Amino acid sequence: METLKQKLRKQVSTYCYQCVAGPDLLKVDVEDGIATQIRPDISSADIHPAGGKVCVKAYGLIQKTYNPNRILTPMKRTNAQKGRDQDPKFEPISWDEALDTIAKKLNKARADGLMDGSGFPRVAASFGGGGTPTSYMGTFPAFLSAWGAVDMSFGSGQGVKCYHSEHLYGELWHRAFTVSPDTPLSELILSFGTNTEASGGVCGVKRHADSRARGAKRIQIEPHLSVTGACSAQWVPIKPKTDAAFLFAMINVMLHEVERSRLDISFLRDRTSSPYLIAPNGFYLRDRKTKKPLLWDLKSGKAVPYDRKNIDPALEGEFTVSGIEVGADDDKWTHKNIKCKTAFSHLVDHVSKFTPEWAAEICDIGADIIRNIANQFVDHAHVGETIDIEGMTLPYRPVAISLGKTVNNGWGGYECCWGRTMATCLVGALEVPGGTLGTTVRLNRPADNRWSSVKPGPDGFMDYPMNPTSKEDWVSKSPSRHAHQTLVPLAANSPWSQALGPTHLAWMMQQKGFENLPEPTQPDVWFVYRTNPAISFWDTKAIADVMANFPFTVCFAYTHDETNHMADILLPECTDLEGLQLIRIGGSKYIEQFWDYQGFALRDPAVNPRGEAKDFTWISTELARRTGLLEKYNTAINKGAAGVRLYGENYDFSLSTDKPHDVEDVWDAVCKAASAEVTDGKESQGLAYYRKHGHRVKKFSRQRWYLYPAMVENKLRFELPYQERMFRIGKELGARLHEHGITWWDRQLKEYEAMPNWHDLPGQWEDALSKVYKINIDDFPFWLLTARSMQYSWGGNAGLQMIHEVAANIVGHGGIIMNPLAAKKLRVKDGDVVEVSSAIGKTRGAIVLRNGIRPDCLLMLGQFDHWATPYAKDLHIASMNELTPMILELTDATGSGADLVKVSLKKLGGQS
Amino acid sequence: MTRWVIVADLNRCVGCQTCTSACKHANATAPGIQWRKVLDFEVGEYPDVRRAFVPVGCMHCDEPPCFDVCPSTATGKRDDGIVTIDYDLCIGCAYCSVACPYQARARVDIPNMAYGKKSMRHEIVSEHWDRRGVAQKCTFCIDRVDPGLAAGLTPGVDEEATPACVNSCIAGALHFGDLDDPQSNVSKLTEENKFFRMHEDLGTGPGILYLWDRGSQKDNEIVPAPPMVAEPVGMAGVSSRHQSNWDWRAAANFIGGGSGTGLFLATALAGFFAPPLWPAALLALALVATGLFYVWMEIGRFERFINVFFHPHKSWMSREAFAAMPFFGFAALAIFNQWQVLWLAAAASGMVFLYCQGQILRAAKGIPAWREDSIVPLIVSTGLSEGLGLFAIFAVLAGLDISQLEFISIVLVLLVGVRFVIWHYYRKTLGAKGAPAATFAAFDGGFLNLSIKPQLVVAALAMLSLWIPWVLVIAGFAAALTGWAFKFTLINRAAYNQGYEIARMPARGAGPSSVGIKPGWKIS
Repeated sequence: METLKQKLRKQVSTYCYQCVAGPDLLKVDVEDGIATQIRPDISSADIHPAGGKVCVKAYGLIQKTYNPNRILTPMKRTNAQKGRDQDPKFEPISWDEALDTIAKKLNKARADGLMDGSGFPRVAASFGGGGTPTSYMGTFPAFLSAWGAVDMSFGSGQGVKCYHSEHLYGELWHRAFTVSPDTPLSELILSFGTNTEASGGVCGVKRHADSRARGAKRIQIEPHLSVTGACSAQWVPIKPKTDAAFLFAMINVMLHEVERSRLDISFLRDRTSSPYLIAPNGFYLRDRKTKKPLLWDLKSGKAVPYDRKNIDPALEGEFTVSGIEVGADDDKWTHKNIKCKTAFSHLVDHVSKFTPEWAAEICDIGADIIRNIANQFVDHAHVGETIDIEGMTLPYRPVAISLGKTVNNGWGGYECCWGRTMATCLVGALEVPGGTLGTTVRLNRPADNRWSSVKPGPDGFMDYPMNPTSKEDWVSKSPSRHAHQTLVPLAANSPWSQALGPTHLAWMMQQKGFENLPEPTQPDVWFVYRTNPAISFWDTKAIADVMANFPFTVCFAYTHDETNHMADILLPECTDLEGLQLIRIGGSKYIEQFWDYQGFALRDPAVNPRGEAKDFTWISTELARRTGLLEKYNTAINKGAAGVRLYGENYDFSLSTDKPHDVEDVWDAVCKAASAEVTDGKESQGLAYYRKHGHRVKKFSRQRWYLYPAMVENKLRFELPYQERMFRIGKELGARLHEHGITWWDRQLKEYEAMPNWHDLPGQWEDALSKVYKINIDDFPFWLLTARSMQYSWGGNAGLQMIHEVAANIVGHGGIIMNPLAAKKLRVKDGDVVEVSSAIGKTRGAIVLRNGIRPDCLLMLGQFDHWATPYAKDLHIASMNELTPMILELTDATGSGADLVKVSLKKLGGQS
Repeated sequence: MTRWVIVADLNRCVGCQTCTSACKHANATAPGIQWRKVLDFEVGEYPDVRRAFVPVGCMHCDEPPCFDVCPSTATGKRDDGIVTIDYDLCIGCAYCSVACPYQARARVDIPNMAYGKKSMRHEIVSEHWDRRGVAQKCTFCIDRVDPGLAAGLTPGVDEEATPACVNSCIAGALHFGDLDDPQSNVSKLTEENKFFRMHEDLGTGPGILYLWDRGSQKDNEIVPAPPMVAEPVGMAGVSSRHQSNWDWRAAANFIGGGSGTGLFLATALAGFFAPPLWPAALLALALVATGLFYVWMEIGRFERFINVFFHPHKSWMSREAFAAMPFFGFAALAIFNQWQVLWLAAAASGMVFLYCQGQILRAAKGIPAWREDSIVPLIVSTGLSEGLGLFAIFAVLAGLDISQLEFISIVLVLLVGVRFVIWHYYRKTLGAKGAPAATFAAFDGGFLNLSIKPQLVVAALAMLSLWIPWVLVIAGFAAALTGWAFKFTLINRAAYNQGYEIARMPARGAGPSSVGIKPGWKIS
């Protein structure tokens, strides 16, 4: 028997990319055709940064596969009425009927024109999880590419639940869609609310555990003691949204208390815009002929263009100089013998008021703590030292600063990102070993690695694909419902840009159009996959109401959920362990995935699909066929829409474009092209190879973890401290908007400061809520916060029993965390059921008392607003998503908000 | 020799529960059952607060209390340190569960399914029928270790020979290896780092070693017990909880066993002075039998009850079972031929039975209220008092003469006094050592227990019966009632388990280590 059993057992290689911190590799034990166990893929230990491990979420995949609540046949809605209070009355239908119904709608939309009367795409799509659904949707990107214009602006968490300001400013300053410490080399990491141990993935966890084991120090600065705070050497309980003040005060200490020589003078002088001279109107003083910014050359004793050779730029000081100044819309001023200070000197002046004593009052932290941390930052920076990285000598600056969610999005996000990057630059710790690094690019191109995206732009900085703000080129009618090209120059216009625009505006516009933007329209067809904006966003009640009005919604559905409650068609696709796909792995990817290899990994179906679930590639091909787009679809695949271009210099595995291809044939071709890419065309093994080995990689140089070499190579400077470009763009954008009668974005225009000021950010929240909802803010004494949890983040797994079971071991899941000092005042005890109210909504839950939270804060872990998802809806867990207002007053210039709201707390009867 | 252990580096552990999940996968444990899990501790008051995560499970102790108490020999202790359970031998008495100070064992009679009653496909494939109704716990993945060793692999180094939790650990916090091998990974880790073991003071020699700081630990250096915090905040998951293994049926055995054997002894001794009180003797036997019947009803695999006799050389439960045989045997013979020696032999066996009951509780190391040495005389004296109290009722009803009743009254007063003195000593000792705060609350909040007021009432009634003989009926009943109330409290109200503790909050990176916490405990 044992022998037979052994025969029936097998292990299948696959990957987990449920969260943005992946992908990670794993093995699935399959017994008699049934997946029984998830294991780490130890065979990839040598290539994977976390030794082939996967986190707790991956272990939920078995239950995910066999969950009895899965939707296993295509379904159609039979109740035309939509809404939370409506029973959709879904009825099973055949795949033919489902696909024909969708194709009919698509074909009509195509016949009517890809864009509607307002200039918006008739087809919209929303995908969640920071782009991770792409790793599960097979060739659907090829279908979308074949289709043409698709509106991706209906957000599903973006902005309010991502690192939004960091995405945009990070890419601008150092090609950092997300920012990470160089953890393996860092000695000191200042983490402002970065929840690495919850959302850093296995790579983040492993790197930081290794870092702790070698005695590195991480200081966690956040209002509550998260799991990351627990793993840190020190917890500093800062008041919410005051991180910018802390960072400004650190810069103050470094510039006004620390000896100048202890800063990285050469880095500031040669790799930043610090020596650039600032003219009276706030723009660079420029050379009359070349229009290049001027700096003061100590060698020649005169102002010279920044790129003049053999010069000795003055880092600071005031000099009598002449030149021109170019402002917004080519405004020009000519200056003769005026006094100009360097950008660095402006910085010194600018931060002089931000003393630790000033910040202490704002942050509710002792000035001594801020001062001490700033000094430690300099102490550990090793200014002047170098390190060898694979034969290249680079500066060694083992100090880093990371910012977490709610710190780096919404108002204050810009200030924090600037403060972080500036403090880092002062000791030369940006993009060098041990320091603060970017991970990957999404807005800049090409995206294959960060070095390739370093292209010279204006004024000695990297180029950046800003949405234009000039009179001629400004896009007054953005082809997206959230107007990202119109409102947010930094959002750029790459395939990722729509997802990084002000995605809540698309929803808000459906409620009430914005003055002088195109008339709001609904998409004719809305595709939804791996996202649930009806519960995971801000003001989720309003979002659900909006989507209930959409005429035709197609959801790729796992179980019934709150968003697909409003759908017209549900399509059951093969889940993680059932579908086939090849994805790219390695290089440097976001959060903390820094690999020494790059290549490909296969998601090999471990088990047969349940019910009538179909592989996403099959669905995509069928949609292409039924909409007459097969040729374009196949062409898109050939061009790389499935992740790999199928042809190269000395190979061609292109699919014939005139016929539909089997799922395995498609991926076999992709695998062959991947093999060729990895081996420079020498080899061409297909699907069978990957099925046997799981992955295939080649070396990725660690030098590429750092942008510094590319900056030196291209003779470029980081665009800090002075934001002359953004200052100009802000003025131009303001002019364009006002010319078009748009004044409702004026508050956002104020963010375009050359160097950020302190704007009483907590007060800004309170004022906005008071003004919009006419409330007495004193009636809402608590700041309500959320935090990610490793068990749930991005997993879409709140309906999995095992996840709920193991998550319960970590305090706070399922409850509302409150400080006992605050609880005592309200006579609230551990376990008491309470109601938490904001100006727009209420939620209820049981109190969990913990000392590790500020008394003026409440914390709700996770995103549990479920009212339709089986299992999850019965957990009745408090969620802040219905409590967080979605308003322009709380939208920053990048188009993001923050998971933050002021609330009151009332004790209800009963105990949990 | 080999000693398999797990070393858990608390500096590294992030509480992610990946090990918990991997264990659930590898061992296909039922929903709600976690052989491995990670606890979440918090120490201090705002703003000076520390938080740490502690993986727990079966500690595979050097001196496993579960092994000693197991009556069926289902629990085994291998030479390599691994504590095993033979599911085919186990009767599911859960004695091991109350004996374990680490709450590592569970019994599942009918497993919950993740989603309602219907099993999912993988649940059907992975179902372990042999685990139903018996004790289960972490095995250190011997199904990997043993075949791995046989294949020439090194557990802790080679994945296939290493426990699933260790393999899965994403932070590199868990390590498995041979502590007897000075070159092993775990030996090196414990050489280079300071470590503690949980509940070190209980002398169990647990096989999970927790690293809490860098630097070598000096020989014989024992990390002091962490401070008790009676009312910790947000520590429900790690504080002591009431044992849920033995319910009122177990209490009934202690009540029936104590009262029955005590009553039989009183009846046998009274036989020297008066004709045998048959109803009292029969009630005594019935009480003991009823108690045992209830225990039989409580075990998970009652068809295997015979296995209770398999471990008399260690287990007091086996010994109790053995003592019951002569008790009932001699008593039956005494009923037929009325030899006084048979009465005495039965009574003596009953005393052994009663003593075993005291020892059963004392050996339950997982329950602070039970494991006190003085629990043995307390159980014995309580049983005797209950028995004599019941006998007094029979004596009055049977119309024994006044002098005999006076003698009974005086002995009852003395027994109540002795019982109170022992109780006082027990309570004082427990209070001095410390115990779960809820245990003290259960004892001190009861009004029918062995504390001074109820016992004064019993003694006063007994004294009063010297003048008003029929009051002895009330005094006797009161003596029995207070004993029963005490035992019910002891088993069903005060039996809070050991809970968890963290001896030291670990150094995180360059940060300092600090004092730990024993949540929910107090000195009283």
